[in-house]
Amino acid sequence: MSERWLRWFHPTRRDPKRDVDDEIQFHLEARIGDLVSRGASTEDARRQALTEFGDADAVRADTLRIDQRIIRAERRADWISEFIRDARVGLRSLLRTPAYAITTVLCAALGIGVTGAIVSASYSILVRPLPYPHDEQLVTIYSDNPGRGYKSVNISWPDFIAWRDRNQTFSGIGIFTWNSNTISGGSGDAERVTGSEISPNLFAILGVRPAIGRLFLPNEDDRGRSPVALISHRLWLRRFGGDSALVGRTIMLDGRASTVVGVMSPGFNFPDRGDVWVPFITDPAQERHGNRGYAGAIGRIKPGVTVEQATADLHRIDALLAREFPDDNSGWQAGVLTMRDDLVGTLRKPLEVFLVAVAMVLLTVCANLANLMLARGAARGREVAIRAALGASRGRIVRQLMTESIVTAVLGGALGVGIAWWGVRLLRFAFPDQSPPFFVTLGLDAVSIEFIVLITLVTGILFGSVPALRTARANLDTTLREGSRGAGSGLHRSRLRAALVVSEIALSVVLMVGATLLARSYRNLAGSDLGFDEHHVLSARITLPTSDYATRGEAAVFYQRLLDDLRRRPDVVSVGSAQGTPFSGWNVQGEAHVEGAPPPKRGEELIAHYQYVTPDYFKAIGVPLVRGRWFTDADRDSLNPVILVNELMVAKAFGGRDPIGKRMAGSGSDHAATVIGVIRDFRHYRLPEPMGPAMYYPYASYPGRQQTVVIRTSHDHPQTVIPELHAAVRSIDKRVALYQVQTFDEVVSRSLWRQRLQGNVVSVFAALALCLACVGLYGVISYAVAQRTRELGVRIALGASRGRVVWLVGKESTRLVLAGVSLGLLAAYFAVGLLESLLYGVRATDPGTFALVPVVLAVVALVAAIFPAVRAARVDPIIAMRSE
Amino acid sequence: MYTRSIVAYTSNLDGYMPRTVDLLQGTLDLLILKTLSWGPAHGYAVARWIETLTGEVLRVGEGSLYPALHRLEEREWVESSWQISSTKRRTKVYRLTPRGRQQLKAETGTWAQFVDAVGKVLKTEERPV
Repeated sequence: MSERWLRWFHPTRRDPKRDVDDEIQFHLEARIGDLVSRGASTEDARRQALTEFGDADAVRADTLRIDQRIIRAERRADWISEFIRDARVGLRSLLRTPAYAITTVLCAALGIGVTGAIVSASYSILVRPLPYPHDEQLVTIYSDNPGRGYKSVNISWPDFIAWRDRNQTFSGIGIFTWNSNTISGGSGDAERVTGSEISPNLFAILGVRPAIGRLFLPNEDDRGRSPVALISHRLWLRRFGGDSALVGRTIMLDGRASTVVGVMSPGFNFPDRGDVWVPFITDPAQERHGNRGYAGAIGRIKPGVTVEQATADLHRIDALLAREFPDDNSGWQAGVLTMRDDLVGTLRKPLEVFLVAVAMVLLTVCANLANLMLARGAARGREVAIRAALGASRGRIVRQLMTESIVTAVLGGALGVGIAWWGVRLLRFAFPDQSPPFFVTLGLDAVSIEFIVLITLVTGILFGSVPALRTARANLDTTLREGSRGAGSGLHRSRLRAALVVSEIALSVVLMVGATLLARSYRNLAGSDLGFDEHHVLSARITLPTSDYATRGEAAVFYQRLLDDLRRRPDVVSVGSAQGTPFSGWNVQGEAHVEGAPPPKRGEELIAHYQYVTPDYFKAIGVPLVRGRWFTDADRDSLNPVILVNELMVAKAFGGRDPIGKRMAGSGSDHAATVIGVIRDFRHYRLPEPMGPAMYYPYASYPGRQQTVVIRTSHDHPQTVIPELHAAVRSIDKRVALYQVQTFDEVVSRSLWRQRLQGNVVSVFAALALCLACVGLYGVISYAVAQRTRELGVRIALGASRGRVVWLVGKESTRLVLAGVSLGLLAAYFAVGLLESLLYGVRATDPGTFALVPVVLAVVALVAAIFPAVRAARVDPIIAMRSE
Repeated sequence: MYTRSIVAYTSNLDGYMPRTVDLLQGTLDLLILKTLSWGPAHGYAVARWIETLTGEVLRVGEGSLYPALHRLEEREWVESSWQISSTKRRTKVYRLTPRGRQQLKAETGTWAQFVDAVGKVLKTEERPV
């Protein structure tokens, strides 16, 4: 044991090689001596000794290896026991100053927690592999028309066939389109389930297998085959009780008996969630290149081929198509996205912003902790000096101080895991319907925990190292001589602390600017005039099964009866229906042309939104008539139809002149239609997407099976009419399912979830940073005041007014705040570029924001500094001067 | 690895022909522990004691003693310190630790049982039924 201690204090004396050599040398010499004393010659004795000893080199090497192992183990043990000792000392000294301990641990916990939450969420969304083998080979293919500004729109069947059959870079391409089906019969009400129509090869391209049964066969998309379906594991359990005999049997899908050929694995989802998949069946003879009506294609790129090469390959085909079908294909090309990019979509940008923001928060936390530690280091200057005087090396002192910061970080990290868990939960709730996209599993898993451990250590080292080095460097002599003031290298330290506070303030400014911009964008969006009245309105979708409603007439009768029934109810103000309601994602556009106007050049055709609505639809959603008249029940002539147009259409197609009585050809009818009225523009598309020209045909002239019923009620809570709606539908036809039953308020509020989340997250971060900066400023000013107590006492004794003292102290705070704010504004000016695409109705360099933030920050910061200043003014000169 | 083997000299027919005999695991360790149980000693002394006591029948192949000693040190059955010998040389002296003493006791018991068992087998004249 004593040997070990000796070695510790004289580490250079440890030379295992020399030890082993000495030991063996001694042995041999002793043996030779013995043999010589027995009468052997020196030469013989040496030879015999060596022979007896054996292979000396091997012995030496072996022994040395053992010794080195011993030394390593000892060092490790020393290091660990020293760390434990330091940790214990650190913990004890933390506990002696509970206010400091709580502040630092909480501070570290917040920083580590929010960082952990954001990084964990980003990892889940941006990095974790999709649930398909070799997911990096999967791409989603849409149509782009850069000339007209279309990006990622739907694809047409013939384009898909051309890509599928003529490409050289894909191992397979399949098509899919969104779909939903009504399941009826058996136990339970009719219900609407979502899913998609898929080409039989699609799931094989994804590389997934069913849990039971099989995927579609290659020819199961032929027209006239008896219907087949794949269902999700979820639906199988929920509706069919997990009956393994279900495969091979039929279920009622849209009123048709369809054979279930397979049940997919648990957790499989496509295209988003999805419960039922049926073959994509179309009549190739009816399909045109210009009918871009199908959701998209999914391809698997051959191994070794890049996405760029695959895109170029498809563009080569597009060029051929444009030559063959100039009317439908010129200007159009395949838009290829990796499946990950397609799924992540608009989430990527906010996540990047969050990551940058959270890094700033973490930096602020580190600066703040370093600041607190420096203050503490100042107070401990004497302790450190004494330890140094007693022979502790500088490295040893640094290590001990570092251990303390790591103990703080680890305590913070432990708390931080809780905060991260909570934060991830909050993020999950931020998604619409509290359900993140299917490929995202939000939660604290092993990866997140590993990351939190990493951040904890980095934080501990980051905020601990500078103060530890500083404190340890404190000049022994001056510190001890400075006596009770125990300030170490006071000036130096306070300059460093000032720099830390300035950077904290600067970081808060950047975050506050970002938060303000995002919050204003959200306010602009949420406060923008929608053009319709979203309050008191309930909507629900209905799709009548083809088998039961074979003709348009039958569908018309159903909706007529339903709307009449609803209209008679006392709490219904007005009721109507349309194909797609505002914010529902319904987006069908087609060419339109005013009769008599010159034909447009190619690529400059007027494209208009169109759909079929019932007479009271606009009253139900609260859109007023500007001119002309509404539809009536009598408007049902399909050969000579009438239409309503919006103001944008009037401006675009009629040059702002009165369109009433004019005739227009549009995609909604084979016949030109007469304009009978103009409605006010309203935001049909989700914000911030602007509305374009639109034309509306009477539902009665072209009745369809799928409508969204809209009910304006007298209730503040339109949900109260849901039971009546269900009853009304059931009384007409039990097999009809209502789905997407929701109030307009919900729809509108949900549509802005991402903007709301952006504003909220960055605001929370900004608030956090602001608090930290204030704590830092308060700390620095208090410390400065404490150091100047004597001086201030003298000033007061000599007649300085209290106001003058407050000013003296306040001046210092003002200097720090000003420096921080100007630095922050400068940094913010460059940082806001990142936000550009997330803003709405406010410029990134919005002068109002850049003026407001510094004012708010300055006020808050000076309030934080006022307490020490006032305390300074209350200094009793007698006590102050005696305190020395 | 040679440390588990020692060289046994026999003074009969073959004269001084060294013959390698594999010692049982731990036998050399046991001998070292035993010699050190009389008091601290350096490696050379341990070698001489073993030589003397085994009557040169079982002589430690000298060099192999050192790795064994160091391994015992690693297991903390012996500890060492450097001393200056009468010849003014640095000498590494080993001493048994309490744990080493316990180990010696346990191993001695095991060894006795082993010898007993082997002896019984060797003394048996007839094949057991």
